[in-house]
Amino acid sequence: MKRLLENIRIAFQALFLNKLRSFLTMLGIIIGVGAVVAMLSIGAGAQQSVIGSIEGMGANLIYIIPGNPEDQLVSGGQQAKLTIDDVRAIEREATLVTEISPVITSSSIASYLNKSTRPTVNASTEKGREIFNMKIEKGKFYSKSDVSNASSVAVIGQTVVKNLFGKMDPIGKIIKLDGRNFKVIGTLESQGTGTFGNDQDNFIYIPVTTAQNKLYGLDSYNMIMAQSISEEDIDEASEEIESILRRHRGIRFGEEEDFMIQNQTQILEAINTITGIFTVVIAGIASIALLVGGIGIMNIMLVSVTERTREIGIRKAIGAKNRDILIQFLVESIVLSVIGGIFGILFAVFVSAILNRFTMLETSITALPIIIALSFSTVIGLFFGIFPAMRAARLNPIDALRHE
Amino acid sequence: MLENNSDTIIKTIDITKTYRIGSIKVNALRGIDLEIARGQFVAIMGPSGSGKSTLMNIIGCLDTPTSGQYFLNSIDISKLNDNELAGIRNKEVGFVFQTFNLLSRTNIYGNVELPMIYSKDRVPNKKKKILEAIESVGLSDWIKHRPSELSGGEKQRVAIARALVNGPSIILADEPTGNLDSRTGEEIMHIFQKLNEQGKTIILVTHELDIAKHTHRIIYLRDGIIHGQEEVKNQLSAEKILMDMPRLEDRLVEKHTV
Repeated sequence: MKRLLENIRIAFQALFLNKLRSFLTMLGIIIGVGAVVAMLSIGAGAQQSVIGSIEGMGANLIYIIPGNPEDQLVSGGQQAKLTIDDVRAIEREATLVTEISPVITSSSIASYLNKSTRPTVNASTEKGREIFNMKIEKGKFYSKSDVSNASSVAVIGQTVVKNLFGKMDPIGKIIKLDGRNFKVIGTLESQGTGTFGNDQDNFIYIPVTTAQNKLYGLDSYNMIMAQSISEEDIDEASEEIESILRRHRGIRFGEEEDFMIQNQTQILEAINTITGIFTVVIAGIASIALLVGGIGIMNIMLVSVTERTREIGIRKAIGAKNRDILIQFLVESIVLSVIGGIFGILFAVFVSAILNRFTMLETSITALPIIIALSFSTVIGLFFGIFPAMRAARLNPIDALRHE
Repeated sequence: MLENNSDTIIKTIDITKTYRIGSIKVNALRGIDLEIARGQFVAIMGPSGSGKSTLMNIIGCLDTPTSGQYFLNSIDISKLNDNELAGIRNKEVGFVFQTFNLLSRTNIYGNVELPMIYSKDRVPNKKKKILEAIESVGLSDWIKHRPSELSGGEKQRVAIARALVNGPSIILADEPTGNLDSRTGEEIMHIFQKLNEQGKTIILVTHELDIAKHTHRIIYLRDGIIHGQEEVKNQLSAEKILMDMPRLEDRLVEKHTV
């Protein structure tokens, strides 16, 4: 133990003597480790906020989307439609579904007096408030009668409030949405920033009937959203909806569906798969960066061994065994690599703090990548240091002492 | 086995050493029989190419003979492997080189400590022993300094302290005065003579007869064999020579006298 400390001291001494060279050698490791930890922190941040925003939408959601994704890819045309009949059929027959609403989503231009903004317009029934998990800040959400009357009313998110009204009270004001007048009847509490920096407050909610009749002239929906009675029942509820819709839409046994059902669990799984791939890609880039850094370390250690041949000769003449010299140089390369790793982590923490503060990206530094980065830099120091260290250890003391 | 005479510290029996340089064989040593008693001060002399460096490397356990046997302090060295040799060097041999061979980045204390770092056993009173060794060569005020701050003579004294610190059986000095002016060289010889008086066995490799005459016995080497030996009748006393020697002006810079 004492000898190890002594070796670490010698290593620091040697590295300090060539500060610039040591730093440049470390740079490979610093960049490698830094990039990996920073990317993983972005990945972890993204994952957390994706999951957060999906869960934030309200629990136990099932999404029914028209058309079969494979059919669409092949034929490209003839998309099946989801209509009010489908909604009613599910409402009537499903036992595991609590709330259901058709949804039309589009991007529109909203304006008030001379100001305008481009929010996402979500059209739903009055159940939308529950399904999208929204809280009313002021005013109220549209009611069942607003939906059945196709009233021109709108509930707006905080970004829309800010862009159109500034400090004014928007309740009761008339805004224009694609040229149509809508009366603002409520505002929503802020939901913050979403996964990829998307603004979750840049939304306007209107009754789905209004959207169909007055804005787009549609008899169908983008999507139907349903909520299962509990998290455990979500898969069964999805199956129930599937069989109801198959029956209702007259799809025979063995035929492909002309709609697609996804639930939150599946989406979370899909996200986890994507993050998994992301992690593998990062690991690939990381291993290349660290390999390059490791070769840099090996290179400089070989130079160091040559430069210090005489020192090695002296140490051996005085009684250092091959193993002592081996350990000395091995410790030096490990110290070099681990310090590089530590700097890399600090660099990543810094970058991730900057990203968090000044961009929309959310980052999250977790213990795992730090531990992995540190152990990897130790292994790299060991792996790429062993060849130079063995070369040093094998030097013949007589020749080494003669070395100029 | 060696017929053990406890007063014999070095005994070689028909040592040869053959190098191969490409396809050419070089017989550096061609049968050396040598015996050195404990407490002796011996000089090995010979022209370059005589094999004296090779002999010194073998005596210092840096190398093993091609054939023959070598006993150091009754240990058969001839058959040891690299690591065992390193252990013997550490414990039994103190080296003093012509070019000092100090670690330039390490201070005086660290340089003298070096053999103890590689000792197999824990050294009790380590610090005290190091300080004593430095004291014995008169450099106590310099322990925190680096070798580059010292004069040649001082560097050589640090090397001697380093050679002493593990209490070796022999001190092996290879041209220790070769890089020093005559007065400083004489000062170094004075240290060796004092150490010898305290009972240390010292083997000195030199090509200067004046230096060799400070010892008890001179062994002449030529073409890889012992060409002759002589007991030194009128051993030179470094102390006396130093008293007669005019002090050079630049000696004033050096604070320490022996």
